[in-house]
Amino acid sequence: MTHGNVIGKGVPRVDARGKVTGQTKYAADIRLPGMHYGKIVFSPHPRARVLEIDCRAAESMPGVRKVITARNLPGSNRYGYDVAHRPVLVPEGEETRYIGDAVAMVVASSEELADRAAAAIAVRYELLAPLTSPRQAMEPGAYLVHAEAAGNRCCLREFVHGDVAVGFQTSEVVVEQTYFTPRQEQAFLEPESGVAYQDDSGVLHVISCLQDPYGVAEDIHLALAIPKSRIHVKGTPVGGGFGGKLNTTIQVHLAAMACLAEVPVMLVLDREESFAFHPKRHPTEIRLKLGAGRDGTIHALEGDVIADAGPYSGRSPEVLGLTMSALMGPYRIPNVLTRAEGIYTNNLDSGAFRGFGAPQAAIARECLLDKLARALAMDPLELRRRNFLRPGDRPTSPMLGDSPVSLELLTERIVEKLGPKPSAPKNSTKRIGRSICFDMPVFDVGAIPVLGKSGVGAAVEVHSDGSVSVYAGGTELGQGVTTVLAQMAAEQFGLPMDRIRVEMSDNWTCPRAGRTSASRLTFGLGNALLLATGRLRQTLLVRAGKMLEIAAEDLVLEGSEVRLVGVPAKALAFAEVAWMCSDRGDNLREEGWFRSAEDRYMYGHTFMAAAADVAVDIATGEIEILKLANVLDMGRVLNPAMAFGQLYGGAIQALGYGLMENMVTVDGQSKTPSFAEYVIPSALDIPEEFVAEGVETPYPTGPFGAKGIGEAALNCTTPTLLNAIADALGVEITAVPIGQEHILAAVRNQKLM
Amino acid sequence: MTRQSLVLTVNGKNHALDLAPHRSLLDVLRDELGLTGTKKGCDAGDCGACTVLLDGAPVNACLVLAVQAGGQEITTIEGVSSSDGQLHPLQEAFIEHGAVQCGFCTPGAVLSLIALLRETPRPTRAEIQEALAGNLCRCTGYVQIIDAVKSVADSSK
Ligand code: FES
Ligand code: FES
Repeated sequence: MTHGNVIGKGVPRVDARGKVTGQTKYAADIRLPGMHYGKIVFSPHPRARVLEIDCRAAESMPGVRKVITARNLPGSNRYGYDVAHRPVLVPEGEETRYIGDAVAMVVASSEELADRAAAAIAVRYELLAPLTSPRQAMEPGAYLVHAEAAGNRCCLREFVHGDVAVGFQTSEVVVEQTYFTPRQEQAFLEPESGVAYQDDSGVLHVISCLQDPYGVAEDIHLALAIPKSRIHVKGTPVGGGFGGKLNTTIQVHLAAMACLAEVPVMLVLDREESFAFHPKRHPTEIRLKLGAGRDGTIHALEGDVIADAGPYSGRSPEVLGLTMSALMGPYRIPNVLTRAEGIYTNNLDSGAFRGFGAPQAAIARECLLDKLARALAMDPLELRRRNFLRPGDRPTSPMLGDSPVSLELLTERIVEKLGPKPSAPKNSTKRIGRSICFDMPVFDVGAIPVLGKSGVGAAVEVHSDGSVSVYAGGTELGQGVTTVLAQMAAEQFGLPMDRIRVEMSDNWTCPRAGRTSASRLTFGLGNALLLATGRLRQTLLVRAGKMLEIAAEDLVLEGSEVRLVGVPAKALAFAEVAWMCSDRGDNLREEGWFRSAEDRYMYGHTFMAAAADVAVDIATGEIEILKLANVLDMGRVLNPAMAFGQLYGGAIQALGYGLMENMVTVDGQSKTPSFAEYVIPSALDIPEEFVAEGVETPYPTGPFGAKGIGEAALNCTTPTLLNAIADALGVEITAVPIGQEHILAAVRNQKLM
Repeated sequence: MTRQSLVLTVNGKNHALDLAPHRSLLDVLRDELGLTGTKKGCDAGDCGACTVLLDGAPVNACLVLAVQAGGQEITTIEGVSSSDGQLHPLQEAFIEHGAVQCGFCTPGAVLSLIALLRETPRPTRAEIQEALAGNLCRCTGYVQIIDAVKSVADSSK
């Protein structure tokens, strides 16, 4: 395999030009002839029985094409990942489970009319008391959000390794703490949107921003009883997803609207609806206990996670499985007992969000390690180093994998990046704190065992003019996968980037690729693509060999030619060979299917270090991040500008998570329904100095040695900031986010002033 | 419903329109004029995705009534590159510095920063942050956007 044409270079994103000029068509930018507008009527109550839905007023409004309730729906009216128990529309007589449940829908000729018609639908409810905390929902006798889920338990994941009782007995120091993490909203800028229509042949087309076209088609099929052969789902460029668009969002509703109204329909949620509707990062309560010897060697870890799963299952079992696994991090721990439980409530829904359950675990783990370091009077970095996984170690985790361990290298780099610790000016009210934390992010390498849905396909076609199409069913969320795939194909064929076209996120044209999550795309699709291009290369080389009367093994693909190395006369244009292949009937379209071997490795692991210097003003409670450093083992950096973009972006989301963001609910109602209340980091909030670096320890089975990196920065940065603040003030932080008012309270409690 | 006639000057072109007076400039740009490069992220003045320039100054188009914008020069992202497709140097810099991820905030951010560079050709980091403060970006962490602006500022003499 030849390297160095475009891999590892800062080639610009293939989609960047369209985005900077405003030409890229997002779902809400699509205009279809005869297009109508949809509007969903959501339940204003987290828990209520729907007694009666009166649509007459809405139906009689001119311009209203269709009013839809559960009665009108064909099919089961149920959909959902994991358990298909989510109603498309809550029928009369049934209960709503959260404020994102829909009860009716309208389709009208304009957006404004749709809004007014939706407002004219009169729904009578019997209000019922909602369950608003997992603790309340776990109490014996609590009403059941789903009749079949005893104790309101959505899921329970457990992991046992060694014997924790023995581990704690042999420990000389034991620390324990309970941590509370908030509900974090993905806050993608593009709300859920899409268009749908049925064509003359009866095929339903749904064109929408989504992360998993196959999952969406499945849900439409389940809920509306439309044969899969008649469902075409196409993803549009996504204006941010971060997991929030991983499950089906509005697409089933949109499909029902288009089928029943028999016109093309556009549906776009407004911001408040969007915030109420999609699943967010699980709020958790994590009790964690660590036991160690006087020398700092960890003997045992015990963890108990209780998470608010919200009203529906969705990704909760998978997400909480990762929370449970990530409590151990990149450390050697001989005795482990961890469990994570998801509990149904009538609060906002919980599900996938970048990091997928690991950020909560990283907060508890890294904060408790600092507490252990204080108890041992040991430098926190030294404590961590003593317990690092060593080369050749397997991670202490149910998520088996075998990635080269690079923790010492990361430590070296992060210390170098950090430089000397700054000091506060004399007589200042500022206190300086520093922290270095580590994490072991996982990425899917093709075999999540729970569902067996993780095989990844990609197809590649060489056209007779020598241009190339790649069909890859993953989704471009802004992470740059389109560019990476184009780079790989270009590299494989020795062609410039502009000869490659990548078609993505379409359940009709692309082989099944599953969802875009778990940082899995570069890895899975990349490997599938390499399999397909490998076969095509062979076809081209054999054909060229015949044309040149040279053995195929002696030929290479480079510089848009098929060449005999070192003999310029013995070369054919790539396009000429492609034409000849086509003329002679060679197969020029290949599919690659990637699925890692069962029971061998199921996950890839990588390693990350984050460090921060902060100044906390004990007079004002203000936190200044003087410096933030991230060093990530990327396996191999395929595109530096994009890779660092993932680090910066992830770190700032982590900053929001630790210091600012909390989607608060009271009695199941959102108290932060807009960007005015739910404040995310702006350009004013970023660290004064921000350094990011990638180290490369190639991952043997990764395409070109690359690892999945999309989620890494988020996990590690939050605890680093929290520990730096704790270091500055000499206090313990156990509840997130920590804002100015918490700092001031801590200052008062500790009598720091 | 009463309607109002007016002429909107967008990217140097005049458009005669007949509009309900309560419609936002954002909706009119997107739905009447087909200029969908201006994005709707919140419709409430909180996110900056809808930023356009009114007589050179950045505004949130979702907060401006279309009828208020009559008689002013409106610039949207579609009017930023020259007619022959030549990108504005800031657009080039966005591409080069990896300042674009999902791209949903990009048109708005580009316009806010073009306005900055016009007023302050060599802005400090703090001035760039200030100018960008109203444009939320959830993807990039702002770092590479700031780098992009700096590179344009440094190359302008
Ligand atoms: S759409 Fe105008 S500020 Fe968000
Ligand atoms: S690039 Fe996605 S919001 Fe800025």
